[in-house]
Amino acid sequence: MSQVFKGRSILPATVEGQALVTRRGFNTLACFYKSILTHASTAVCGDQDNPELFGRVLTAQIICLPKSIGSTSAGATWDFVAKMGIAPAAMLFSEPIDSLSAAGLILADIWVGRRICTVDQLGAEFLAAVQTGQPLKIMTDGTVIFI
Amino acid sequence: MKLTQEENAIRKGSRGPVWQKVMNTLILYGEALHAECFVDIEWGGHFSIPFALPGVGPRLEMLTELAEAGLKTKYPFTLDPKAPIDFENLGLSAEQKRVFREMLRDQPAYDKRMLELGLRDENAYTCTPYFTEVGNRPPRGAILAWSESSCVVFVNSVLAARTNRNSSILDLLSNIAGKTPLTGLLTDEGRRATWRIDIKVLKRPHPQLLGAAIGRLVMDGVPYITGLDRFLRPDLDDETVDYLKEMGAACAAIGAVGLYHVENITPEAIDQGRRLLVAGAAHDAIDDGKLEALLASYPVMWKDTQAKPRKCFIGCPHLSLRELRGWADSIFDALQAEGRPRIAVETILCAAPHTISRFKADTESYMKLISAGVKLSPTCPEAYMNNPLCAKEPVITNSNKFRAFTSARLLLDEELIEAIVTGRINQSRDLK
Repeated sequence: MSQVFKGRSILPATVEGQALVTRRGFNTLACFYKSILTHASTAVCGDQDNPELFGRVLTAQIICLPKSIGSTSAGATWDFVAKMGIAPAAMLFSEPIDSLSAAGLILADIWVGRRICTVDQLGAEFLAAVQTGQPLKIMTDGTVIFI
Repeated sequence: MKLTQEENAIRKGSRGPVWQKVMNTLILYGEALHAECFVDIEWGGHFSIPFALPGVGPRLEMLTELAEAGLKTKYPFTLDPKAPIDFENLGLSAEQKRVFREMLRDQPAYDKRMLELGLRDENAYTCTPYFTEVGNRPPRGAILAWSESSCVVFVNSVLAARTNRNSSILDLLSNIAGKTPLTGLLTDEGRRATWRIDIKVLKRPHPQLLGAAIGRLVMDGVPYITGLDRFLRPDLDDETVDYLKEMGAACAAIGAVGLYHVENITPEAIDQGRRLLVAGAAHDAIDDGKLEALLASYPVMWKDTQAKPRKCFIGCPHLSLRELRGWADSIFDALQAEGRPRIAVETILCAAPHTISRFKADTESYMKLISAGVKLSPTCPEAYMNNPLCAKEPVITNSNKFRAFTSARLLLDEELIEAIVTGRINQSRDLK
């Protein structure tokens, strides 16, 4: 039977894709900076301190994370990532969203017109259950289904 | 969120589409953070968006959209340090200069837009805007919407002003609207301590090493720090303030601390003492052994770990006037002790333009530095390392924040002075 989790939908969208999981903080600037500077057509994680993500493609993935960490430059980073068309498809937070991610993802939505589906408060059980590569379906009400 | 009539009208477009986007951004942001309403900003902003570098500052198109719609911040604001365009102080090769010129090609247009949007003046670039000579020093209790993690933690903790850890661009939009969501560190409850950290050391620790240890423990929690008052003066004199500035910068960069309380030292801890601690607050202690282990855990990121240092940056965050004078004396004394006229490693001390101007007026200290070959710069050491050619250099520093974001190697102050003067690093600490 499919596992189902319910979170709070912040930027609603219906998305299907594969999970890319980090159980430590997602450092937004460190993850995307190299891809931005090199004008990459696909974002590859450049955060050497995150072995779960380092070297993996971030574009069009469903990133599953507790919350983000790092520089207050995160807002501008998301703005650029969205503008370049190399953003993930969705961000699924197990904890309440942090101020830096909230700002960046909302900026991308309103100022670039690129929605990155965002759901938070999915709970520690969600992050414990989800594995990288797991096919997921996200509903607009914040429901996440393992398919 | 509960909106006022005016906020609702702006949301619906009463001031035009750009204002509408600003308000919609702030409303969504406030709702995401569970804010019930907005509060008015009461003091000028400070933002971490000084560069035209992609991914670090806003896109120029966005600044243009805001400026051409006539939007401007409610109060004048300050920005993080200037881009590394003062090539004469930085000892750059022709190729390094070329790369910087290419990376920062939009900087003049960006700077112009910032002035139009409310930047205080052409010298309002530093990560220590709260120093008296710079003048963006909010009073106790003032509601702000600042970014730059080291500034946020300083004004919250040392000045007892109130700001959340805002993201870049949101900082600017909030100060244009003159409003910020009432949540987190703006509230009495959000300022209560979620951790008690006991400092059990024999001598005053390196502030950025202690800050890193605290930040790693508490992450985005609010620590109440005991035992540190043995090493600090209770009247927040310049030396104490500098110590707290350095400690906080590391707490914020290596963890995500936006506010700390130091027992008997910081304003809210003096007033409320341990009543600041929430029920069930977490508890831990830091001793000399933990600090030594932390220091030893830092890897040397240079390609050649035995390389001679080529450059030294001091001043991340920017140095105070007292610190500039202190480094001038220390370097001068070390040169005299070694019988050398000039330093062996190119050294750049970074400080606010206003602080540098005041320091230069102190002719004796300034001449000590100049004669030793030391340079002063208003730029940001981290921005220097954004240039991939600069990032390859073996750079040394005493800043743990700078180390954490770059390949620079951390040395404690005495080791650093020895390296600057002799060109050699004392290898007593194991290389990792």
